[in-house]
Formats: sequence, structure tokens, C-alpha cells
Amino acid sequence: MDSDKPVVVLERLTKRYGSFTALDDLSMTLHAGQIVGLIGPNGAGKTTAIKILVGLSRPTSGTARIGGADCVRDVRKIKRLVGYMPDRFGSYDNMRVREYLDFFGAAFGIRRRQRTKRIDEIMETTGTTYMKDRFVESLSHGMQQRVGVARTLLHDPQVLILDEPANGLDPQARIEMRDLLLRLAQLGKTLLVTSHILPELSRICDRVGILTHGKLRAFGTIEQIGRQISQRRTIEAHLIGAAQISAAAAIIRDAIEPQADVVEAVAEEAIRFRTAIPESELGELLAQLVRGGIRIVQFREVQTDLEEAFMSFARPDEGRPETAFVAGGAARG
Amino acid sequence: MMLFQVGLIAVFVVLVMVRWPTDDRVALAGLRSQQVFRLFAYGLLTTLLILLPVFPATSIVREKNQGTLELLLNTPLGPVRIFLGKLLGVLGLAGILLALSLPAAAACYALGGLSLTGELPRVYALLALVAVQYSTVGLYVSSRSNTIDGAVRWTYGVILFLAVISLGPHAFFQGQDSYLATLGAWLRCVSPIAALMELLGAGDIGGQGLLSAGGVPGRFAIASLVITAVASIATIGRLNHRIFDRARPQGRISDDRRIDEQRARRILFLVDPQRRSRGISLLVNPVMMKEFRCRRFGRLHWLLRLVAGCAILSLALSVATTKGALDWGAAEIGGIMVYLQVALVVLITPSLAAGLIAGERESGGWPLLQTTPMSVFRIVWGKLLSVILTLVLLLCATLPGYAVMVKVDPGMRSQVERVVICLAATAGFAMLLSAGIGSLFRRTAPAMICAYTALIAVCAGPMLIWMGRDAPFGHGTVQSALTINPIAAPLSVIRASGFENYDLIPANWWFLGIASAVSLMVLIIQTGRVWRPQ
Repeated sequence: MDSDKPVVVLERLTKRYGSFTALDDLSMTLHAGQIVGLIGPNGAGKTTAIKILVGLSRPTSGTARIGGADCVRDVRKIKRLVGYMPDRFGSYDNMRVREYLDFFGAAFGIRRRQRTKRIDEIMETTGTTYMKDRFVESLSHGMQQRVGVARTLLHDPQVLILDEPANGLDPQARIEMRDLLLRLAQLGKTLLVTSHILPELSRICDRVGILTHGKLRAFGTIEQIGRQISQRRTIEAHLIGAAQISAAAAIIRDAIEPQADVVEAVAEEAIRFRTAIPESELGELLAQLVRGGIRIVQFREVQTDLEEAFMSFARPDEGRPETAFVAGGAARG
Repeated sequence: MMLFQVGLIAVFVVLVMVRWPTDDRVALAGLRSQQVFRLFAYGLLTTLLILLPVFPATSIVREKNQGTLELLLNTPLGPVRIFLGKLLGVLGLAGILLALSLPAAAACYALGGLSLTGELPRVYALLALVAVQYSTVGLYVSSRSNTIDGAVRWTYGVILFLAVISLGPHAFFQGQDSYLATLGAWLRCVSPIAALMELLGAGDIGGQGLLSAGGVPGRFAIASLVITAVASIATIGRLNHRIFDRARPQGRISDDRRIDEQRARRILFLVDPQRRSRGISLLVNPVMMKEFRCRRFGRLHWLLRLVAGCAILSLALSVATTKGALDWGAAEIGGIMVYLQVALVVLITPSLAAGLIAGERESGGWPLLQTTPMSVFRIVWGKLLSVILTLVLLLCATLPGYAVMVKVDPGMRSQVERVVICLAATAGFAMLLSAGIGSLFRRTAPAMICAYTALIAVCAGPMLIWMGRDAPFGHGTVQSALTINPIAAPLSVIRASGFENYDLIPANWWFLGIASAVSLMVLIIQTGRVWRPQ
């Protein structure tokens, strides 16, 4: 599959319920084989965006296309292109896992012989073969999530849209789910995943979008988003012993912006500070510290993690840009 | 609820006003008052039987499913206090219903002919016993159930047995010198209907002119208190950790057993419930198959048992006709069969049809169906088909009884044909009414409750007016009321006792047809509405 080919394209997507705007001018592009994470607090508009994509909701304005098919006009085509796993499993009483998958396979019009083979394949892929005779309502949450993913794969869709797949899973099940999603991406599927479990997303997603109050605040790789949050970088210097911390802090304060915070972490034998000075000046600062007799074992930039980025956008009083610019112009909110 | 209460008061007021004296003559015997009071008491009992069981039936299982029962059991409140709290809550509602009827009862008393120490307090005491007994039974069923709709279904089933089916053996075997007759005479004492009839001086169920021993109200009181005590103790005994003790079924499958075990199971079950099922053929509607598979009694082995049970019962009744027990004619036996069939339809149909759409919406399956390429019409048709096939199977299973009747009395052929049409129309009406009402709800329990209430009201309401035939209601009024009744039409066709003078066909078919069409429209419109993207 051509990874440069846009598979999912959202353009200025807006959804209003009366005076309430659930989704505000959302634009985003997903390419083949990508795993894209959509994060945001409750009520941010993630599920609304997903429902529009799978044809369960209609946008007030804007367009959404999957594989060239319009999500409003070509709903039947969209159903063939997309595998959708909602945040609720959708259990049926007295049905075994295999019967459950068989029903959805039949609903997608897959012939019986082909369906049997397909169910065997996807159960193998999703690691659900051992539970084929279990009743779906008696499965644990983690098992149900995996069966849910298996269900989305039945008709071999090009795009998988998974709403909170890691929600409520124990650590081991989370790791298994993460591996499963990576495997599916390797098979060429495009995945759009929402989650509250941010470390999980940061490990698997090629791109992440942050939604708050219906607006896309940031979109790109985690590193790119981190840089969008603030021009300042967090630098960390580890010393040998805590005795020189005060001396090192003094040198740093002289070299960087006067108002910048310098934190002396005595217990960790480290100093952290945020600065916007360029790379060359940072190099000079390091040389100064060495010349000043400070025994440094590590001098590095601390990467902004997804939780920090998310919190930065989720906090209403944060003095951040209204919308972060996104790498490659792939999204606009 | 408020609407219902206002409606109830209005009915009572109308009932009293109809018989309120308008001339200056004095009715010393108080006949008018007794006529009104009789209907009024039957109405109150019917209301209690229809409305009350829903509340205890959903009370414990709802808390269990919502997870609040765990919190409740974790408080210092003991099981007895929790049980009493729930019981008193339900009885409070029953108390409101009975209190609402007091002004009308006072009006009946003012008309004369009723005694403050006679039938008036006795009827209210009986109704209070009914309320307590059925509330405790409902709470017990609720404590044993895992789903709300299952609890509602089982509670109505138990109450149908206690109130109506328990009258059957006595009606059938009375007058005989056998242990079955004695058993029947005792069994009818668990029914409040028999007790109320005796209190109101209305004779005995299916009396056939025979004099039966009295004392039914007293026996009912004892039976009611015993059932109440047993149900209460059993429910209190369930209100602890045991209510959550339910192992997840491991899904053992017969295909993994030894060959001889598989063969034994096949002989035992005919259709082994634990065999691995084949994939759904594309020639059949997948939704229909899904509906059968995910129903507790939808699997083939259960359907076979149900059909076999109906067939045996139907044939047994017909054999009784041919033996001429108590000189019962084909019409009487036909009448009993009609009652049983309609009871079966009324009991089963709402539980099958009311949750067709609401169940999907509640379980989260609806958006999954929406994302499949199936059209909404195919989905609705598949769901309706699963109900139609079940009902057809059940009704067909009772046909052998009619076949025997026709064989015994060939002159009844055209009557039996019309009865079968009536039953088919009733089944279709019950299905579409339940499905139409159910589609208006997001959750199965209220959908089922409303469907049951509507169906029982249509079946029982006109029968109350029929019970007041000749006095206070005239022939025309009763005929008009019975026109909408699905039970009365086949009974009038078969010339069952009490229905010989009513000509309800084809007006009844027209009513059922139009009501079914309206229900179908509601179902289609409402399903289309929830199917559309938001």
C-alpha cells in the first residue's frame, strides 16, 4: 500500500447540536498504514468525529472522505471500507464467540465457506482462537476488546476506527492490544484510535491529534507537538554529587534568560531549567560549566511526553497558541 | 404513572355515575350497588395483577446489574431491612392504588346494599393480601434473575400460573370422585380470582351448575400467607454474597467430547444444545438467526420442547372431549384451548417482540448493525421473522387438538377454521403491538412492561365489561367492548359459554388488522428514525 496516499481526509468538519458545537472546523489527513491517535478530555469531540467517519452522524458542515468515498453520500461504500469498534462492546446473550463473529460475517455478506476461513484467520491474528466456544457475555473486558477488534477485521476493511480500545484493560492486556494494533498497521491497515491511556498511544502512534472543546489543538508526531507547546526546552544536567549544585545553578542563571526557572533537585543530584536559547549557546553553557570545574555526567534535553502535551492543551488557563501548527500541514483545526 | 392514576379514578367515577339513582324510587335490595361494586372489585384486582408485579420484578435485578446492590449489601443494613425496604416501597404503590379507589367504594356504599363489616372490608383485605403476596413473589424472582426482561417475563409467568392457570384443573375435573378433582379444588385456592368470585357471590369458575364447597377466601388467605412467607425467606436468603456467585460458563462444546458421549447427548436432547453450530447460510436472514441464537429459549432444542409440550396439552384436552368427561362438549374444550392459546400468546409475545429494537439499543448492538451493509428493513424483517416463526410453531403445535375436535364433530370445521384465523390475527396483533410499543424505548425493561400492560389491558379490559353483562352493562355495550378483544372473538366463534350471544366477526378482525397496521407503521417510522445518522 502506498503510504503517501491519503486514506482518510477530514476537511473543515463541524458538528453542532443546537447552540453547542461538538466539533469545530476539524481538518485532518491520515495516510495508509499510519496509526493516528486522537486524544482529548471527555466531551472533546473524539467520538463525534468518529461517528461522522463511520456514517452514524452527519456533519453540520465540512466533508469527510475515506478511500475517496464521502462519509455522508456513500455510506454503503464506507461500511465496506471501515471497521468500527465503538467504546461499548455490543454483546449478545447466549452467543458463542464464533457464532458472534459468524453473524457479523453473514451481515457483511461473506459466503459461508469463505467466512469460516476468514474467522479462523482473524482469530489467529487477534489471539482469540482459544475463546471461540466461550459465550461472549461471559468474556472478561480484555477478551471482549480483542473479539471487538476481530469483528472489525471480518470484512477486511482498509481503515480501522477504534474508540477507546485500551479502556479498562489490565497492563498485560494493554501490551497485547498494543502489539495487535502494531501488527495490523504492518498489514497495511490505517488505524484511527482514541484513548485516554496516553502512554499507550505515545508508543504506537505515528501521529497524534489533540482535541479540546471540539477543536483540534495540535496534530503531528509527539516530538512536533511537544515543540508546539512552547518554544522553551527543558534541559537537565546530572552532576556527580550534590555539593556543586548551587555553583552550577549560579553559572546557568547567568547564562540563560533572567526570568527562567532553574530547579535544583538535590536528591537527584540534578538541575533542570527551561530556556529558549539556541543550540550554540547551550553548547557554550556546557563548556562554561566544565570550565568552572562542575563534574557533569549528563547534559540533555528532556523530551515532552504526551501527557505533558495533553495537559498543556487541556488546561483552560494555559497561555498557549489557539491552534498548534502541524507537521507537514497535514491537519488544521 | 400520574396519568394512569387519573385514568383509574375516572373509570371508577364513570362506573359509579352510570349506576347512580336518577329517579325517586328506592332500591331496597341494593342490587345496583352490588353490580357496580362487583365490577369495581374485579377492576381493582386486574389492575393489581397487571401493574404491580413489574415493580418488585425489576427491583433487585436492576440494582444487581447497576452494581448498586453490592454497595447496599456493603452497608450495615442487613438483608431483612433491605428486603423490607423494597417490599414496603412496592406496597406503598399498591396502597396508593387502593386508596384511589376508596372514594368510589364509598360511593358504592352510599348507594346501599353493601356492608362495612361484610364484603367491603373483605374485598380490600383480599386485595391487600394479593399485593403482599405478588410483591414478595416478584422480589424473589428478581433475586433469582440475571436480566430485567427475564425477571419481568418470569414474574408474569408465575402470576399467570397462580392467578389463572391454577383454576384450570378445578374447572376441568370438578364433580368427579378422584384425587385430581380434590387436587384441583385445592389448587384453585391459590387464585385470588376464585376467592374474589366467592366473596362477591358470583359462584365458581366454570361452575357448570355444580355446587362446590365454599371457604375459598379462607384457603386463599392461608395459601397467600404461606407463599408470602416462603418467598420472603427465600429472597432474604439470597440477599448476600450468593446473589453474585455465578461462575462464567466455560463454553464446553459437545464436539470436543468423546463420540459415545456425543451420541448419548444427541439421543437425549434430539438437538444437542452444546454442539458447534454451522455458519449462517446467506439464503437466510442473518438477523433472524442471530435472534434465535441469542434467545434463552430460542435454540432448537428448547423450541422442540415447547412445541412438544403444546402439542401434548392440546391433544390431552381433545382426548378429554372424546371421553366425554362430565359431558363437556367440543365447545367447552375449544373454549379452554382458546384461553390457553391466547394466554400463551399474551405471555410469550411481548417477551419476544418488545425488546427487538430496544434490546439492541440497550446492549450496544445497534451501532454495530448500523455499520453493516444490511438495510434497516432487512434487520426489522429478520427480527419480526424470528418472532413470527416461533409463534407459528406454537400455534401449529396446538392444531392437532382442533383436528381431533373436527374429527369428533365435523360440523365444527368452519368454526375451527375461523378460530384459527382469530388466533393468527391475535398473534400478529400481539407481535406488532409489542414491537411497535417496544421501539419507542431505549431499554428493554420499560419496553416490555408497557407492551405487557397494553396487551393485557386490551385482553382483560373488555372482559371486565363482559363480566358485567346484562347488569350493569347492556348487550350493545358488551358487544362493542368485546369487538376489540382478541380472546372474545374466537370464543364467540366456538360458541363458548357466555359468548354465544355475541357476533364479533368480522368487526374484531377489522380492529385487529387496523391496530396491527398502525403498530407496524409506528415500528417502521420509529426504527427508521433511530437508524438515521444523528
